[in-house]
Amino acid sequence: MSRFRTKYPPRPLRFLHCPTGGKEARSRHTGKANPLTPSISRIHDADLELAAAVLKRDRKATARLIELHADAVHRYVWRRLTPKVDLVDDIVQDVFVAAWRGLPGYSGEASLQTWLVSIARNKVEDYYRRTLAAPLESLEQDEDAPLLASSVNLDANLEQSRQEERAAKILSGIPYEYATALRWRYWEGRTAREMAAATGRTEKAVERLLARARAKFKSRWEETA
Amino acid sequence: MMHDDFDNGEVRPILQAAEAEAPVHISSRLQSRIFSKLIQLEQEQGALRVLSESRAAGERLCIFETVVAALPSDDLQSRNPCAVCHARILGERVEQAPIFWPGCPYAKFCGH
Repeated sequence: MSRFRTKYPPRPLRFLHCPTGGKEARSRHTGKANPLTPSISRIHDADLELAAAVLKRDRKATARLIELHADAVHRYVWRRLTPKVDLVDDIVQDVFVAAWRGLPGYSGEASLQTWLVSIARNKVEDYYRRTLAAPLESLEQDEDAPLLASSVNLDANLEQSRQEERAAKILSGIPYEYATALRWRYWEGRTAREMAAATGRTEKAVERLLARARAKFKSRWEETA
Repeated sequence: MMHDDFDNGEVRPILQAAEAEAPVHISSRLQSRIFSKLIQLEQEQGALRVLSESRAAGERLCIFETVVAALPSDDLQSRNPCAVCHARILGERVEQAPIFWPGCPYAKFCGH
């Protein structure tokens, strides 16, 4: 685990995870013999060398840091913020600035890419928190809407990718606060309690918000069936 | 109702899988802007690594950096020639800018 401080408890990423759990880096750090494969070890050695060069304010190393890892960070942020893609560039830049500031704390226990994406995750969750901590005035009209639409009868034969495409389209079409709540809950795996703590709302209020968001999602799902 | 069939139903896995398709590559302009920002921060923190050291570490220098690296003073070698280079301005403003200087980071971001 990197020493980069975050507001949220650490969670395993659903992709780009360190294939070895960073064990090889830890052993390198403690000076003990590395029991893992040399090829994996070399990957982390390269990351540590790159981080050290950036800390020396080597402009070429800084360029390489961006060149190697900007795609992964950008993809992650883009996916999490769609359809508000106009915010993606600023957040990606914030991620690299935060990473640069936190680089002295990078210990090599995870790959640089994993470490950068974990920073991106925190930035995205900060954005989710700000979105849902703000007054949800645009959702007031939904206050009286039934929390549950009728049961979803999905066509079992529908191709999975079609369903995913449809779900992504619905997420882009429902109020952004609802989509943010659903992404935060189901993509980032945060509980209502964690979301409540981050936004300053009560757990019950977050559960209500999630219930309305789910109902909206379901009703759109049925409409587009 | 707070707990419905959503969490255990059919929609949840679909929702979880419905991560939008992202562009495969970040734009060269954004990479250029991030690079410029980080170099600016590095300069605020202290002198940049002298270019002859970067070259000794195996880094490739662009033609302007090569000239700067030949200067006798570390102070001069720590300066950032990109600050006054047209490649930086093009790279930050034009997607896939026509920059073809070998060793130029902005050209690399453009895939050249």
